[in-house]
Amino acid sequence: MSVAIDPEPDDSYELQSPTRKGTWQKYYRVLRVSIAERMTYRADFLLGTFLRMLPMVTTILLWQAIYKGSGQEVLAGFKYREMIAYLLLVHISRMFSSMPGLAAGISREIREGTLKKYLIQPLDLLGYLISYRTAHKITYILMAALPYGIIFYICRHYFDGLPSAPICLAYVLSLLLSFLIGFYFEAAVGMVGFWFLEVTSILYIVITLNYFISGQMLPLDLLPPFWAGLLKVMPFQYMAYFPAVVFLGKVQGSELLWGLGLEAFWAIFFAWLARFLYRRGLRHYGAYGG
Amino acid sequence: MQDHSVPIDINSANPVQNKTRYFRLLARLGTFTLIRELSFRGNFLVKVIVEVLWLAILLAFYETVFARTSVVASWSKQDYMFFVGCFFALNGVIETLFLENCNEFSNLVRTGDLDFLLLKPIDEQFLITCRRVDWSVSPNIIMGFCIMGVSLWNKGWEFDALRVAMFGITFTCGVAIAYSFMLVLTSCSVWLVRNQSLMEMWWLFSSLARYPREIYQRGWAQSLDIVFTYILPILLVVNVPSRVMMKAMQPEMIAFILVATVVSLSLSRWFFLKALRSYRSASS
Repeated sequence: MSVAIDPEPDDSYELQSPTRKGTWQKYYRVLRVSIAERMTYRADFLLGTFLRMLPMVTTILLWQAIYKGSGQEVLAGFKYREMIAYLLLVHISRMFSSMPGLAAGISREIREGTLKKYLIQPLDLLGYLISYRTAHKITYILMAALPYGIIFYICRHYFDGLPSAPICLAYVLSLLLSFLIGFYFEAAVGMVGFWFLEVTSILYIVITLNYFISGQMLPLDLLPPFWAGLLKVMPFQYMAYFPAVVFLGKVQGSELLWGLGLEAFWAIFFAWLARFLYRRGLRHYGAYGG
Repeated sequence: MQDHSVPIDINSANPVQNKTRYFRLLARLGTFTLIRELSFRGNFLVKVIVEVLWLAILLAFYETVFARTSVVASWSKQDYMFFVGCFFALNGVIETLFLENCNEFSNLVRTGDLDFLLLKPIDEQFLITCRRVDWSVSPNIIMGFCIMGVSLWNKGWEFDALRVAMFGITFTCGVAIAYSFMLVLTSCSVWLVRNQSLMEMWWLFSSLARYPREIYQRGWAQSLDIVFTYILPILLVVNVPSRVMMKAMQPEMIAFILVATVVSLSLSRWFFLKALRSYRSASS
């Protein structure tokens, strides 16, 4: 089946939802329903969070052996304690920036034709998805607060306490922007499904690469200067490395402002890219399937 | 058209045929899954690329680490890279032969499709854990052995038939112990039905095995070393074969891994059969 699709869905949607307040109310309801849905499997979630953090034990032991073997107290500007704190903080960064199933979900909707519900109803795909993901993140963060709180309490000696208020503010801002970069980046990858139908393969490669180049395995500063410099201007570092080093006070003053500015730029760029690909993709869209 | 049916007499009275029929059946199942996998060549290729990429990332990580230190937990760079290769190859064997099958087990229980497998005149454990070969992860075995070979070359290792033989034996024992752990976790699906957390448990176990034992032999981690070496011997899986090749041989550890293998296989089989006895078909 093939139906004629309006390539500018937002215009038709505006006709049915004329006020900005109405638009916000609509996505607020999506948020509330999604929060209720996410709270259903609490026990499974708590167990899963604990299990996922346990490999941190072996990571701590490995880095202990690496520092002992090197005979140095500082590696690439990181003391042993800071290294462990960094690797713990990366989990917080990923809590905000990881978007499991987002790109695959978008490509599935395109492939199976279910995307048309966003075209015939006054509901924007990206608006709906960001509400849903925000709900996901809010519940995830609330429910992870207990297991993470326990783990960070046990590991408190790796930290020098809370940083100053401006650094805390910058940290929160960097995490919120990392959420936006993670969301719009994955959404943009999902939009590629308009042309390739199956993006899972691309996604596997992106996720695997991202694990290293975003600094989840080790701080980018440990890499040779050329690679460290290159990766620090790319958007991937904002999904793990940058928020962690902000918290640790490794980036301050003008460097911090520049970093946040670049992070905001990448968030806006990916938001634009996802929207651009969506509009372009709708021109190709055949709405096959039930 | 070529006939892919299995011409195996399952009730054969010939004891030699009886012993080899599992190998022949495994070969047929492997051929069948390879043909099926190659029907989606693009997907197969991407899965292989991801595995290669993952190995490249792992190597980049250890190259970065060894640029800052010459030794990690008394393992030099070449020794450690051999260890990494051994883990990669061993994990490759487990993932190629058993992981997908064990993952699928909870679905068989939930849907009741396990009935059809239990009706087959073949050992249930064999059929459930070996019926599909995941060829897309099989290059990991080759890549793992390549890393081990390069490490030995870089170290200037001199050929020693005894060490190679011992490596073969202990590597096989490592696979058997890892398989036993996976079988026990899989068997729990009969009671729990859902096995997502169980597979996370497997991932946790394998993450313990991927590092040299020496990192656990300090301070509070010593208790982990004792538990996961002597009670739940997952730390033996990669450590013993790697040590056999790269460090001084420890006859007592070789003997211990042989005993641990027999005990693990026996206990896991007993547990699996006990789990099957608790199975109540869920289908209509």
